Formats: sequence, C-alpha cells, structure tokens
Amino acid sequence: MNQKIEPLLLRVQKPGRYVGGELNAVLKDKDQVDVRFAFCFPDTYEVGMSHLGMKILYSLFNEKPYIWCERVFAPWIDMEAEMRKNAIPLYALESGDPIRDFDFIGFTLQYELSYTNVLNMLDLAGLPLRTDERTDEMPIVCAGGPCAVNPEPIADFIDLFFIGEGEEIDLEVIELYREMRKNGCTKKEFLRAAAKISGVYVPSLYDVTYKADGTIEAVTPKDGAPKKILRRVLPDMNKAYYPENFVVPSIEIVHDRAVSEVQRGCYRGCRFCQAGFIYRPVRTKTIDKINGECRALCENTGYEELSLVSLSTSDYPDINGLLDQLLTWTNDEHVSISLPSQRVDSFSTELMDKLKSVRRSGLTFAPEAGTQRMRDVINKNVTEEELLKTVRTAFAGGWLNIKLYFMIGLPTETMDDVAGIAKLGQAVVDEFYQNPNRPKGRSVNVTVSASSFVPKAFTPFQWEPQDPIELLHEKQQHLKNSVTTRKITCNYHEAHTSFLEGVFARGDRRLAPVLEEAQKRGCKMDGWSECFDFDRWMKVFDDCGVDPKFYNQRRRAFDEVLPWDHIDMGIKKSFLIAECQRAYENKTSPDCSQECSHCGASRFKGGICYGK
Amino acid sequence: MGNEPWVTMRVWFTKTGRAKYISHLDLNRCMTRAVQRAKIPLWYTEGFNPHPFLTFALPLSLGIDGLRESMDIRLLESVDKDRMIGEINKGLPKDIRVFDVTVPKKKPGKIAKASYQITILPEDRTASEAEQTLRALLAQEQIIVQKKSKSGIKDVDIKPDLDVRDLQTEGDAVTCTLYLPAGSVRNINPHLLFDALEQFCIVRFYAKIVRTDLFDSDGQVFA
Repeated sequence: MNQKIEPLLLRVQKPGRYVGGELNAVLKDKDQVDVRFAFCFPDTYEVGMSHLGMKILYSLFNEKPYIWCERVFAPWIDMEAEMRKNAIPLYALESGDPIRDFDFIGFTLQYELSYTNVLNMLDLAGLPLRTDERTDEMPIVCAGGPCAVNPEPIADFIDLFFIGEGEEIDLEVIELYREMRKNGCTKKEFLRAAAKISGVYVPSLYDVTYKADGTIEAVTPKDGAPKKILRRVLPDMNKAYYPENFVVPSIEIVHDRAVSEVQRGCYRGCRFCQAGFIYRPVRTKTIDKINGECRALCENTGYEELSLVSLSTSDYPDINGLLDQLLTWTNDEHVSISLPSQRVDSFSTELMDKLKSVRRSGLTFAPEAGTQRMRDVINKNVTEEELLKTVRTAFAGGWLNIKLYFMIGLPTETMDDVAGIAKLGQAVVDEFYQNPNRPKGRSVNVTVSASSFVPKAFTPFQWEPQDPIELLHEKQQHLKNSVTTRKITCNYHEAHTSFLEGVFARGDRRLAPVLEEAQKRGCKMDGWSECFDFDRWMKVFDDCGVDPKFYNQRRRAFDEVLPWDHIDMGIKKSFLIAECQRAYENKTSPDCSQECSHCGASRFKGGICYGK
Repeated sequence: MGNEPWVTMRVWFTKTGRAKYISHLDLNRCMTRAVQRAKIPLWYTEGFNPHPFLTFALPLSLGIDGLRESMDIRLLESVDKDRMIGEINKGLPKDIRVFDVTVPKKKPGKIAKASYQITILPEDRTASEAEQTLRALLAQEQIIVQKKSKSGIKDVDIKPDLDVRDLQTEGDAVTCTLYLPAGSVRNINPHLLFDALEQFCIVRFYAKIVRTDLFDSDGQVFA
C-alpha cells in the first residue's frame, strides 16, 4: 500500500474503500507483465464492486499472464479533497501505483450521470481530459458499457470505445496494442489499426458537421475507419468466459453476493427499455453451466447469497428446473437464492416456494404504467388481471410488502394514465382485503415508485421529446393526490436528474465543453443527491451557450441524422420506426419467444434467433 | 456447561496492513464468510436465519493493527488445529492471518488491559522535539480529552490510565509501549492520547498503533 495515503485514511469515511487487499484480489509483479490495465468504475467502491461486468472482465484480463488488470473507483469527496491537498494522484487498488503510468485506463459507462466522474478521475490521475491534449506516453483511455451506444457526448475525452460485449472484443484490442508497442508504433498508429477491429470506435477518426438548425449534417470517417461500427456480440453464452472467483470486498457493498448471469438479452421488447434492444438476441446458458458457475463461486467466495441475474430472470425458459438443480446443494450449504425482480406474468407459487425455502424478502413487480392503454403503448405486455392474480398468489403465500415500479412522462401519457397508477395500487390493496384467509391483524403495504421516463438511443422512443421538469412535477403531484389510502406509499424520483440524464443520453459532441466546464466547477457524483447541484449545471449550460432542451425536449424527425447513427447495434432503424408508429396506435408487438419481429438481431447468428 | 451440542474454539489471528481499515462489523462478516467457506463442521444458530456463531474477544478500533486478536467459534466437534488454520486462512484477506487455535482458558469478560506499540512520525518537527512535547504532555497533572460514547460526548481525564514505557526517539520516529485499560469495565482508545497531543501541543504527526496483547486484571496474558 502506498505509504503516503496511510495518514489520510483515518481522516476519511470508510477508509476500507481505498486500500484493496481483499480476498481474491489479483497481485502480479509489474515487471513480469506487458500491459497494465486500470479498470475504472466512475462511482464509489461500494457501487462499482457490485457490478458484474467489472468482475467478468477483471478475471478475464488477469487470466492472461501478460496483463495485469487492477481496479480503480472514484474516491468520495472527502478522500478526493485529501488526495488533492496532499498531491496524491489517482492510484489503482492492487498495486497502489498511479494510473497515469498504466498502458490502458478503461472506464465502464453504466449511467450518463457518471460522466463528470470520468472526467474528474482523469483529472485526479493527473492527465489532460481531452484526447488531443494527451501525449504518446500517456495511457490509452478507453470506455465501454451501455452508455457507449451513444458515445458522442464524451467522444472528445476517450481514445477508443468498445461497442458491444467486452468478453468478445477487449482482449483483441489489448493484444494488438502489445504487438504494436513492441514494434515501436505510436499511439496514433495503434488507434488507426484498432479502428479496423470490428466493434472498435475511435472518435478522433470521425468528423462531424452540423446544419444551420443545429442538427447533424454528416459523420465522416477518415484514415480508413469504417463508416459504421457494428456491435460485437458473444454468439453463445455457454462458450462465454465466466469467472469462478470474485474479489470479495472486506467492507460492505451494495450487492454483496455471488452472482450468476443466467442469460443475456431480453425477450420482451418494452419500447422504453434500452437494454431490451441493445443486448439482443436473447442468449441463455444451460442449467448445467449455470449450476457449475454458482457452485464454484459459492465455494470460492464463502457468500451465503446467490443471485440469478439477467434482464428478466423469471423468463429463463426452465426457471423451475434451474432452481431445482440449485436447491440440491444450496440448502445444505446455507446458501439462499434470490432473483433481482419478478415478472408479473411468470410468477408462480412453485417459484415462490423455492425462493423462500431459505429466506424471504419483499416482492417487487414492474407494471411500468397505470392503464392498459399506456402499457400497450410501451409494449409492456402485462394486464391488470395478471397483476392481481400474481399479488393474490403472493398474499396467499404470506407476502405483505409489495413494491410496484412505474414510469411517468411516457409518450402519449395523459393525466388519466398517471392517476391510473394510483388506481392500480388501490386494486392491489383491495385484492389483499378480498382474501378471506388473509393473516389477521396484519396490514398490507404497497409501495408505488414512479421514475421519470428518459428517452434513450436505440429504442423506438429515441425520437421522442422528454417531458419538461414542470410537467413531471405536475404529474408527480397528481399521482400523490390520486392516492387515497395510507396502505400505499408513494415515491418518485427527482425530475432534475432525469432531465440531465436525458440530455446526455441523446447528446452529441457539442456537449464536451459543457462536461469540461462542469468538472472544472466541481460537478461530480451527480448520481448522489447530496452532490447533485442542478442550478450549477444550468449555469454551466448557459455559460457555454448550449441549450440542453435541444437534446432532450425536442421531437426529432425520423429522417434526422442522429448523433449515434454511425454506431450499429444490429437493430434496424426501420424496425425502431415501425415500433414507434405501433406505439402511437396503442398496438403491442409479440415477444421474441412467440414470434420474430425481424428487428435485425438475427445477423449475430446466435441465441433465440437461431435456437428455435 | 458440558451439555451443549457444540465445542468452542478460540481462533487467534493478526489484523494488520490493509486489513486495519476493516471495521469491526465488516470483520465479523469477513470471518463469517471465511468459516463458512472453510470445510469445518460449524455449529449453526437455531433461529430464523441460521448462521455460524462467532464472538470476538475485544473489538479493535479502525486503523489499529492487532497482533494477537481472537474470536471464539462454535463447532460440532473439535478439528485438527493445523487443518483449521489452513482452511480459514484460505478465505480471508491476506492481511488477516489465523496463526493459532486453542481451547479458551479465560472469558473475554476478564480482559482489563491492552498493550500497544506506538510509533509517532512527526510532520512539523524533529522526532526528538516531538518526544519532548509528548513528555511535557505526560507530565501534566491532568490530561482531559473528549470521549464519545453512546450517551454523548464527555470530558475524561486519561492521565491516571496512561502507562507509558520505553519512550524514546528512534531515527525520525518517537516510539513507546503503552498500556491502557481495555474491556467491558473501562476502555480507553489509544487515539485519545493522540487527540490530546494534537489539540494541546499542536503537533502534526502520523501515529502507527499496534495492539500487541491483552491482559486480565491480574496482569496475566489473555488466553
């Protein structure tokens, strides 16, 4: 551990965030490796260490003897202040070495509000923020993750983006780097060569021109870079790398448990959901593969909780068979199994019994919208009857706490749709009291949680304007006023953060100066309400002469060149347009397990597109 | 005693380096995971959420190294010492190391005193100057510090509790051995002495504290 940081550690909260040394952390001799990779999660240790993607790539990289991948998180504001005061540059947890001396600095982009943390971490590392200000000796700064599907707002700061699945592409890039550096190539030469690898996006090789109305005229590649960057996809999850071991944090983190990814992609095609489109096609793992992974992980980490994750785990084709297989050993090993969320329409007593056999928690469902019309618009194929049937089952099984997730600000939404959320909550409460066998003397508690819809790239709603903050506030108030019982607790998300998320989700390169200025003025940890300062942000937009509403509150034409049009997620634009038009007609579309909608994902030659 | 369905073993370990920033609550979770993962016959509690039974002799404050820490653990049957040491260590962070397993001789409630090895690295003066300042502080009639407890902050005179031995300058550091009351009756955190040094003498320094041992009221080593 770096001797200079020890005196600081007792002056900050949770010093365990900053020392590393956890069980299964990988230590190597830096003189014995060719490539040092700083894997940066632009949020706190507790958040970053909960992230599965980082665990997968950390292990994958470190399996190669010539790579040493280390972890880096954003220090909390108290530690950042101490580091700046004592001139300690951002360091990696395993070695304690400053990351500015590494070969690669890689960020995972999980949410737009972490962009200022990305910049702040580069600054803390002692590196210039902009690509063109960093010299050849400085690390290659790369990024991937869901926000990389529209990389444009941070394109001026990142040398190279990975578009698609890291297991498939990252090592190819690292190996190319290792080869070219041996031959004495420059950074520019490397980036030009890397751009030829499928799934690699090097923003400096693309020029963007704008029309008089502010929309994009064209994005033009140069130096042999491809016109479109096609996302890389793992065709078969059963052949995919999965770690047998996790770094086990010594301090408590957000999701502290063994995790198995049972499938990637989602069958459903809910029109608001970016993940439902950018991870297509659905690819499942076999029960044997999942069982083996779970067993190894529990044995190697000592975790007592096992979570089966995916975008919709209860849609796993043989979820009961999977649980039966796991239950053959989990009870003996004192391991409890959890699913992160349940589908309203695939929830059953059988499933519940298997999950509660060890431990019981509250139940969460996501109807997403309050009225059938609204649910049809967003293609959330769930009916009120199904929801009520499901909660009836849950109440009969002894559950008393039900949490329901909704969105407000959806396209075509009216105040009646908003009030419908409260009505649906009420129907759930009524269902409880209609049960003659309900536990006597116990009360039901329904939590209705409403977040604000943010239109995202590569969804059928990518052309939609986002509701103005005032309207979202009005809708929140209307929802609150529509609730008439104390059995319903009503929560909603801060509309201001959704506003900013909306700007960056569909932003372009002209937001770079805004981000730069925001970082300079101290915007960071924007996902944390105690740090988020909306007025400061608005002042920054104003001073930079950028209108944020151009990005989030404008209806875009279907033929407008979108900032992310040169990124190809494998989903056809014509399909997204058709889905958008069906939404306006309140028409639903079938999910992938029922019928193919010809979205374009079959080009990846894997998963459900070929399995049937 | 004697009829319980378990045997209690005392597990001795060091907690140093990076691990000194693991809080007591987190240490409990680390140890629970480590013993779960170890292939040893754990006795589980019989409540609604069965879990292994662990109790620590005396919690160690955040930031202090411990060289002779212990926890008691309940097993269904006794296990070979070396196998147990090896199995538990496999599941622990590198800077927590089990070095012995014994049959408990004394109850943790008997602990009355702890010994600490102190190293002070002054930042704004030489070590010998810092040594003189510390000697001046220790020579005072009273050393009043603020002690935080569940019932609030109160002023405490720690002078009668301090037992400082072998105070000397070694290179750029001031070192000493410190004995302080520890345990359930009266417990003085060594950081309180450094708070006093910082507040009254305005010395800027970094202090490395190592808890070396625990004793009962008769001065016998806790075992």
